[in-house]
Amino acid sequence: MNSASMTSNRRTVSLVSLGLSLLLCGCGDAPKARFSWSKETDDLTPMANAWVKRAVLQNFGTPNELVAWERLPVEYGGFAGTVTAVETVEGGGTKLTVKRGEGTTAPASARQLLWKSGARVDEAEPDGVASIVAGETESTVLMAQRLDPVPDVGDEFVLNPGNRLLDGRRSYLKNCMHCHGVAGDGAGPTARYLNPLPRDFRRGVMKFTSTRPGERVSRDDLARTIRDGIPGTYMPSFLLMAPEEMTAVIEYVRWLSMRGEFEKRLNDELKDFSRTAIAEQGKNARLEYEAAVKNDPDAERPPTADELATRAEEDFRGMAEDLEFVFVDAGDLMAGPWERADATDNIITPSIARVADTPESREKGRVLYLSQKTKCYTCHGSTGKGDGPATEDFWAITGSSETYPERGLHDEWGHLVPPRDLTRGQYRGGRRPIDVFRRLYAGIKGTPMPAFGGTGLTDEEIWHLVNYVMAMPFEGPSTTTANPSPTVATSR
Amino acid sequence: MSAVTGMTGSVDHAAGAHAAPGFLSRYVFSRDHKVIGIQFMFTTLLMLFVGGALALGIRWQLAYPWEPMPLLGNAFADEGGQIPPETYTMLLTMHGTIMVFLVIIPILAGGFGNLLIPLQIGAEDMAFPTLNMLSYWFMWPAIVFFMLAMHAGAAAGWTAYPVLAVLPQAAPGSGVAQTYWLLGVTLVGISSLMGAVNYMTTIINMRAPGMTLFRMPLTIWAMFITAILQAFALPMLTAAGLMQISDRTLGTCFFIPAGIIVNNADPTVGGGQPLLWQHLFWFYSHPAVYIMLLPVMGMVSDMLACMCRKPVFGYKPMIHSMGAIAGLGFIVWGHHMFISGMNPMLGMAFMISTILIALPSAVKTFNWIGTMWGGRLQFNTVMLNCVAFVSMFVVGGLSGIFMAAVPVDVFFHDTYFIVAHFHYVLFGATLFGVYGALHFWFPKMFGRMMSEFWGKIHFFITFIAFNLTFFPMHLLGMQGMPRRLADPYHYSYLEHLLPLNQVMTWAAIVMGFAQIILFLNFVISSFAGRKAGRNPWNANGLEWIAPSPPPHGNFDVTPVVYRGPYEYSAPDAPDGQDYWLQSDERGGQMAERH
Amino acid sequence: MEGRFWTLVFVIFAAAALAACAVAPAYQLWFPGSGEALSTIGARIDHLFYVILVVIAVVFVGVNVALGYVLWRGAKQPSEVKAVYSHGNQTLEVVWTVIPGVILLALALYQMDVWASFRMREFYPQDMRTIAEVTARQFEWRIRYAAPDKTLEADPHPDDVYTVNDLRVPVNRPVAISLRTEDVQHAFFVPELRIKQDALPGKRIPVWFEVTRPGTYDLVCAELCGWGHYKMKGRLVALSEEDYAAWLKQAFEDQFDDGVGEGEKSD
Repeated sequence: MNSASMTSNRRTVSLVSLGLSLLLCGCGDAPKARFSWSKETDDLTPMANAWVKRAVLQNFGTPNELVAWERLPVEYGGFAGTVTAVETVEGGGTKLTVKRGEGTTAPASARQLLWKSGARVDEAEPDGVASIVAGETESTVLMAQRLDPVPDVGDEFVLNPGNRLLDGRRSYLKNCMHCHGVAGDGAGPTARYLNPLPRDFRRGVMKFTSTRPGERVSRDDLARTIRDGIPGTYMPSFLLMAPEEMTAVIEYVRWLSMRGEFEKRLNDELKDFSRTAIAEQGKNARLEYEAAVKNDPDAERPPTADELATRAEEDFRGMAEDLEFVFVDAGDLMAGPWERADATDNIITPSIARVADTPESREKGRVLYLSQKTKCYTCHGSTGKGDGPATEDFWAITGSSETYPERGLHDEWGHLVPPRDLTRGQYRGGRRPIDVFRRLYAGIKGTPMPAFGGTGLTDEEIWHLVNYVMAMPFEGPSTTTANPSPTVATSR
Repeated sequence: MSAVTGMTGSVDHAAGAHAAPGFLSRYVFSRDHKVIGIQFMFTTLLMLFVGGALALGIRWQLAYPWEPMPLLGNAFADEGGQIPPETYTMLLTMHGTIMVFLVIIPILAGGFGNLLIPLQIGAEDMAFPTLNMLSYWFMWPAIVFFMLAMHAGAAAGWTAYPVLAVLPQAAPGSGVAQTYWLLGVTLVGISSLMGAVNYMTTIINMRAPGMTLFRMPLTIWAMFITAILQAFALPMLTAAGLMQISDRTLGTCFFIPAGIIVNNADPTVGGGQPLLWQHLFWFYSHPAVYIMLLPVMGMVSDMLACMCRKPVFGYKPMIHSMGAIAGLGFIVWGHHMFISGMNPMLGMAFMISTILIALPSAVKTFNWIGTMWGGRLQFNTVMLNCVAFVSMFVVGGLSGIFMAAVPVDVFFHDTYFIVAHFHYVLFGATLFGVYGALHFWFPKMFGRMMSEFWGKIHFFITFIAFNLTFFPMHLLGMQGMPRRLADPYHYSYLEHLLPLNQVMTWAAIVMGFAQIILFLNFVISSFAGRKAGRNPWNANGLEWIAPSPPPHGNFDVTPVVYRGPYEYSAPDAPDGQDYWLQSDERGGQMAERH
Repeated sequence: MEGRFWTLVFVIFAAAALAACAVAPAYQLWFPGSGEALSTIGARIDHLFYVILVVIAVVFVGVNVALGYVLWRGAKQPSEVKAVYSHGNQTLEVVWTVIPGVILLALALYQMDVWASFRMREFYPQDMRTIAEVTARQFEWRIRYAAPDKTLEADPHPDDVYTVNDLRVPVNRPVAISLRTEDVQHAFFVPELRIKQDALPGKRIPVWFEVTRPGTYDLVCAELCGWGHYKMKGRLVALSEEDYAAWLKQAFEDQFDDGVGEGEKSD
């Protein structure tokens, strides 16, 4: 509410200035978009804060100057190729015949040429002047000037590196940013009007995936969400987005998620240097002192807040040498899961085909739904209305001893998340049986919806549940009236 | 008649004549119709700039979608200066609202109506001077509420269609902003209604001796008919506005059907009908279109006659056609709703009435051309603006026929063709007429003349830039480009329209800046312009026998009217002059010549 | 001298307006797409448009010639010549009231037929088939078809087929959609078919059309429906009867995909 009215204020102020100063001043420089920092980063002590920001900026850059960090499994794009023939043209210039890398198409124009191997590797200023003579054939001909030294056959290069990421950024800023925010923090200017709130990508967690429990989202999953939208939310369907544009946007979203996740990992690493942690430390020391001073009047006085801050800064300085390792490590730790996400064996495939959707199967599903084994009804309610007893409880904040101030289930982002009303026939993660199967198998990531696959339920049992759940919108509550002696829902 | 005049005159103006009023009562809380008229004009011209700035914001987004917007973009620095879509929607909502409710309606009825009615009928002031003052001061709370609505981001369009406008969760700005918006509309309606009552009473009761109905200038006829329109149409809008307010705040469901789920809120319990709002709203807002046009039609007739030194061609047909427009104006509202899902039978009825309303407009156009025919034309700023009025009105009127035809409207409804149409009528016709009237009656307001040179420069730039901005909108409409899209190029069939939109935007920017010329001309001339005598244009109306500017009470002696207002170039006029003041006793009472 | 300049300004404006309309089709600024209406009702709407256009063009030229003439005449008249003293002409008034009146009334009556067949239930084509339910919501079109060989019912059925922003219809036969909205008012607009209809909260409105050429056409929302109004981009794909049946069958199978069998389809 506060931030909302602040934005409104800013708007009025500048509306007034729009009206009056249009006469007086010109357009001036446009402001530059920026990636916001997370709450946790802002909470760090000055040195740690500066270090985190530097590390993130160094590896990811700003919205206007993106950095492609090779450690990350992101397809930054560009036209990769190998030189197959070199010919010097009269009147200066070099004609390069090149074989293009797999899956890339020659761009229409050349912006930058980056050499990956050969004599020019590691040159500070890659020669940027090139024009493409023949584009769409197996072997492409490039005309280049000022190539010094002339490349050899077999040298590898990338033309227009980072193209896909740049295209993704352009499309993202046009289509996604208003809700999801420049940094993918789910806090764009429009976000405050939406219910549910737009996804905050920065945890690297997406709700609706086809991947196994705990795994990252695959590119296909993102494509599906972008293409079909999420029914019942403000995520619209971008069915008609050009395929290349969608590929680029997906890559950019993955990259933004990694950027956020990287920032989060650094913050987790430097948790001890947050103001909150230092304050907690001070509080504990004071309590200890108060306890100790009863027995020993000369007990050592607790450090003051200033002392603690200074001490933290000193500690941080002491760590300086390990810091490089910290962020390289964070990058590597992050790369693995993201790389794995698209692997075929990471996608949930039922071991058996869907069990025939018969009354018997639905009945089995119903029994499971109401059983202690699944406890579906505790959240979704015995009639599937999404009004189970768990929605009336106060739940603990993850990683904290306190509970949320309002009743009901919360997701990882700390937002209230009502269990789906299964009688409405609205399926946010897709309405195909396989989609519902995967919801049950892997849960909804980042939410209290648990994963039943593998250990909890057999694939056959999941299919019974799918059949039951998918029939709910069409059958009256009669089949679910058999009241399942509701037990007291236990808080986690 | 004379009894009423006498009473008001003796009580009010006697006091004014004896004790010099203080600054506040003279210029701020004045009950003098001229001061109130000028107050209305200044306020509406200020609002014209605000509304125009909003329009430039809209144009910028259409020319450079999602690129940093100058000035307003600074509010969205973190996003690199690109405005979010709800801000665009706010811009178009408030542009429409301000231009209709705070510029065009009040500048005509409030501004020129106040200034001209007593002067032209030879009265000392309005029938109810205090009510008149209140009608101005009720506009200010309306302005405040509209500014609050803008601040909170009202974004349901100036038509405020339910359910979008009614459910707070339906859209950004349907929250408290929409309530402010409705309060603003209600207050501006009260202001108009006070004016309308006053105008009707004044025109009926306070005419000078000899000023029979058919000796009234067409301006007065137009103001009279406009006042009737306002008095009978406005209650509908006010009622509808209150119903919407109660839907929003008291939980009634006049406009909300059952089972609507917006933004994952609980389904509405409803039972109401969103179409009801459309009927009520357009029952006012279609006559309002004529409220925004008729006064200008009257003023342009006056100005053209004077600048052509020729009687108005077909004085009575002009009055009859205004009457016909007003009458038909009440039964055409449904043409805004052809595809809304109302009973298709109604579509047919409304098509007939709508197409027929083109007839009186056509008659008026022919009569204006007839007035110019064979005249001794003075090509000054006033004349040019009046001719532009006629020329633009022809375009706007003719393009309206497409929309009146229901099947063709199926395609054109809510496209830029409509936007082109109503800008040709409301900007092209009305605003050019207003520019002309500002130049024409300026000497009566301030006793000085506006600069002809700068007037013509302003006219030339505005005329060219206006047409470059709005004529291509017809073509955008032909392409089926819908209104109110923050990014039309999202659609592949509209992508190629970007360059055209950029041309239009730059034309609009030029046009916007050209209004600074008018503003400066207006302000500077008001104290440094050439001094004007009582009758700088050699016109016939009663206002020209009063001093420039007229004192409180207007006339030296109560004028007596001997003839109609358009006796220009009469062969029997005294001294061979080409005008013949209505109050000129030479020639005595003249029989009706038209 | 100056008067002639200003006369020219007004005349040139009128000429330029006409010229702009004349060259517009060459710059793709006339009717969208190919310029031809691709539905039967659309073709009739275009016809009506051109009828009005001809009438209007004649009036526009006539009025502007008259305006240009009176201005030019006034401009070149020596300033000492007195204006004609005339208060009007009763006959002229009658003539220019009655003639336009008759023309306008004729225009109005001429439109009735098309409107009736587009909107009035009694005049709908006999063999019209309701093919899909189109539900507009902020900010997309959700479309529901009956399973192959079944008829669409007002209430959802377990084997219904769903798409989003993707309306497919067979060509060369009258089809209808059942238009509704889940939240606020929207408008179903397919420019190339010249079809438009508001979706009214609380109401279900049938909209029929007959597409005359297979192809993909833009589906647009034409009624302000909130901040994301511009995002409601859909498509209408017109297919031959066989292609349509094949597509529906495929869509049905995709929708009941259980992830095994031919393996995960990459959509």
